[in-house]
Amino acid sequence: MKINQYRRYFPIFVAPCLVAFLIAFVIPFVMGLFLSFTEFRTVSNAQFVGIENYIRAFSDDSGFLESLWFTVKFAIISVITINVFAFFLALILTKSVPGTKLFRTVFFMPNLIGGIVLGYIWQVIINGVLYNFNYSITSDPTFGFWGLVILMNWQMIGYMMIIYIAGIQNISTDILEAAKVDGAGGFVTLTKIIIPSVMPSITICLFLTITNSFKLFDQNLALTAGAPANRTQMVALNIYETFYSRNGYEGVGQAKAVMFFVIVAVIALAQLYLTRRKEVEN
Amino acid sequence: MKNKILATILSLICIVSCFSLAGCGERKEALVYYLNFKPESAAVYEELAKKYEEETGIAVKVVTAAANTYEQTLKSEIAKSDAPTIFQVNGPIGYDAWKDYCLDIKDSKLYSFLTDTDLAIKDGDGIYGIPYVVEGYGIIYNDAIMEKYFALKSKKTNINSVSEIISFDKLKAVVEDMTTQKETLGIQGVFASTSLSSGEDWRWQTHLLNVPLYYEMVENDNKNDPTLNLLDAKEIKHNYSKNFQNLFDLYINNSVTAKTLLGSKSVADSMAEFALGQVAMVQNGNWGWSQISGVKGNTVKESDVKMMPMYIGIEGEENQGICIGTENYFAINKNVSKEKQEASLKFLEWLFSSETGKKYVSEKLGFITPFNTFTEAEQPADPLAKEIVRYMSDEKYENIPWIFTAFPSEAFKKDVGNALLDYAQGTKKWEDVEKTVISKWKSERS
Amino acid sequence: MKERFFNTLYFFILLILSVLFIFPVFVVVINSLKFKFSIATAPFVLPNADTFSGIENYTTGIETTGFLSALGWSLFITVFSVGVIIVFTSMTAWYITRVKSLFNSLLYYALVFSMIVPFQMVMFTMSKVANVLRLDNPLGIILIYLGFGAGLSVFMFSGFIKTVPRTIEEAATIDGCNTFQVFWLVVFPVLKPTAITVAILNTMWIWNDYLLPYLVIGKDYKTIPIAVQYLKGGYGSVDMGALMAMLVLSIIPVVVFYLLCQKYIIKGVASGAVKG
Repeated sequence: MKINQYRRYFPIFVAPCLVAFLIAFVIPFVMGLFLSFTEFRTVSNAQFVGIENYIRAFSDDSGFLESLWFTVKFAIISVITINVFAFFLALILTKSVPGTKLFRTVFFMPNLIGGIVLGYIWQVIINGVLYNFNYSITSDPTFGFWGLVILMNWQMIGYMMIIYIAGIQNISTDILEAAKVDGAGGFVTLTKIIIPSVMPSITICLFLTITNSFKLFDQNLALTAGAPANRTQMVALNIYETFYSRNGYEGVGQAKAVMFFVIVAVIALAQLYLTRRKEVEN
Repeated sequence: MKNKILATILSLICIVSCFSLAGCGERKEALVYYLNFKPESAAVYEELAKKYEEETGIAVKVVTAAANTYEQTLKSEIAKSDAPTIFQVNGPIGYDAWKDYCLDIKDSKLYSFLTDTDLAIKDGDGIYGIPYVVEGYGIIYNDAIMEKYFALKSKKTNINSVSEIISFDKLKAVVEDMTTQKETLGIQGVFASTSLSSGEDWRWQTHLLNVPLYYEMVENDNKNDPTLNLLDAKEIKHNYSKNFQNLFDLYINNSVTAKTLLGSKSVADSMAEFALGQVAMVQNGNWGWSQISGVKGNTVKESDVKMMPMYIGIEGEENQGICIGTENYFAINKNVSKEKQEASLKFLEWLFSSETGKKYVSEKLGFITPFNTFTEAEQPADPLAKEIVRYMSDEKYENIPWIFTAFPSEAFKKDVGNALLDYAQGTKKWEDVEKTVISKWKSERS
Repeated sequence: MKERFFNTLYFFILLILSVLFIFPVFVVVINSLKFKFSIATAPFVLPNADTFSGIENYTTGIETTGFLSALGWSLFITVFSVGVIIVFTSMTAWYITRVKSLFNSLLYYALVFSMIVPFQMVMFTMSKVANVLRLDNPLGIILIYLGFGAGLSVFMFSGFIKTVPRTIEEAATIDGCNTFQVFWLVVFPVLKPTAITVAILNTMWIWNDYLLPYLVIGKDYKTIPIAVQYLKGGYGSVDMGALMAMLVLSIIPVVVFYLLCQKYIIKGVASGAVKG
């Protein structure tokens, strides 16, 4: 009875969201899967070609593997640096240091600035520094790589820090007091109490940094646009370029997008599974 | 149960139509939609559209693609329901990619305006693209600085005027001597920055490469048309690679900018360097005049802006002219309504034959047009356009056509540009550039 | 004593870090006041008599990018999309959490799944669908944002709803409220903190989003990120001065928003994460 009474409201409560979700996501997603097996210029003239697009995606000049490798390296380094910095900032900011509120405000601020804007800000700064040595950010892919890492750190540390702070503040003071009474040192408290208790925060921070690092697009586009010679091109940008900058490669672009999706999904789910298990263990 | 489904469906339709109808009401679909290729002319076209609407009441929508994104913008726009009615293709290769969208316009007035109907893009009996501007490029130089150099006592060459520079060797001698005396000349380098940042490298991977490939095509020309010859070439030998290197090296070794910094420079940077008198020369075309004159605090006088050929050290290059051609062909979208197609042609005819239109074309757009509706006096009066006309009309010069319209793809050009950047930064050797040109040609052509 | 020493040490470390964090923004601000050719070579030098350009960069930047209209569209799209997202996703989340059916749980998992799918997967097809349905305008894009934002928003709302006991809802029903009233009068007030979190996360996303609006409406309507990118890519020239000025102008609304809603933003981010 109750359920039926609710059901009358389906059109109002669920339908708008459902329609939007179908239009913006479900239909395009299914179409995208389908199109990755076809050759097309616009959707209407798609022709089935089997897995040819997937094979072409790995050809020498497509740059897919290179961009994937670049992205993986970037993700590993930025995930580690961001989380380590953010965690230690959170530790310090949960102590009774004067001005914590103000510091928190400052550290979080870059996160609100959009990727395109961030990219140009850092381009000016990095080029300004390198100029003194007669280099620019496009002189060497290493500059672009570390530029992206620094940029990503600048943007994400504040966000992750907030999450870690929330986690640390959730630890009951009793446990910490008890540890102190037992004579546990700083290091022991950190590894035996704090880190295990903030496992949920670690899970979410890892999830956010990993997925964001893999999906990075705006910052990459604005900072280097892949220069020099596409050697600082990340996967998302590589797919975009395949799609829109080359005629006859639309299907290949879509195939790359499908593989990209699978990779991101597998990594994200694996990470959630692994860290969640840690949470349970503790 | 049925009612519920019906209600659901109805509400879905309501929601979608709410959003889309509201949008429709807001958007007045213009009869003419021109997707403009030239960012530097964006403002003029918008003004023109307004003028045309005032005169005829027909709305013209102008959208300008950001630099170097024309193909991708066209791709996404043409798939839309409100697709461009006028777009442009850059020659035979461009036509090939877009032929499903090009209307046959052999019966149009616009086609009849052409002074030389051979210039149009033909396919079988049909005419699918009409060039609307003739352009030329070479080495633009600041005559005041050159005169200053020729008057120097410390000059180490025996060349006394630009007209004596008729080969690469002479050019090189002058340029290198000028570099050693740049302080005296008050310049920071002879050549403006060889801009190699992404999207800003077309002056080298397209325009400069045009010259050596032209000579290669002339050599075994079985079609009597180097462009068609190149269009058929499955492979190229690139046997004038060394000559390509000659001029490229000269540019980067006598530049205002250190080689390692070229990857961050844009075309605008180098035009500004020229306009501010920091350099004596810059390779570019007559379209660059607006960039030179538009720089605030520019020191170069209009009467001092001249152009010379791009010598690369080929035997008998004394008569070589500048590179003249077009990569701008109007095409009319085949897949829009008849009404829109006609309105679009009308607009273009107005642009190139009415008094108002012509005034804009020659004065504001600065186009040298290939149409018979323009009198001599109606050609643009800026110094670079005048130089182009001078080279075109002087029988002495063998001008080089724009055969790069037959380059296999944008990806080819991009990869060559990347290789040139690597070479300039010292991370690759010239042989690698050469290899890239040859192998990319082959793979992109196939 | 020892603790005091460490706290002072920490304070100075934090102070230095803060300066480093603010420095990039500071650099952009000083360069926005310099002539365009004095920027690339020496960005860390304060403007002097020779290089100071006044507000010239701002006027040229605003003019060439159409910044004011971009600001308008960004505001319009962000405000209405976020509003629509809050209203509809909260209702959907409540409905599919309360009414157990196969369809509803499938929908829930599909929504959660959509969160990890990279945008590149659907960018081409989505812009095609949007065009065919005539959603490629500032109103239509709101619907698109509802579809894309639904994943995270429904996920967060239902995470919270699961912890809310049904008893009040039942009581309200007995009092004669219909379902619609129950939701808006009884449930939604309880959801308010989550709604604020959802609103903030979506605002941060939509305001800064570049590729989606660029592909869907970017040719006709420019939002701020599109305008900034166009300044760089368009017109065949890069006016560094105008670029710097535009960067400053696009940061200002963000900073204002941040300072006004700081408390909610920080709380929102923290609680959003804990539930995730």
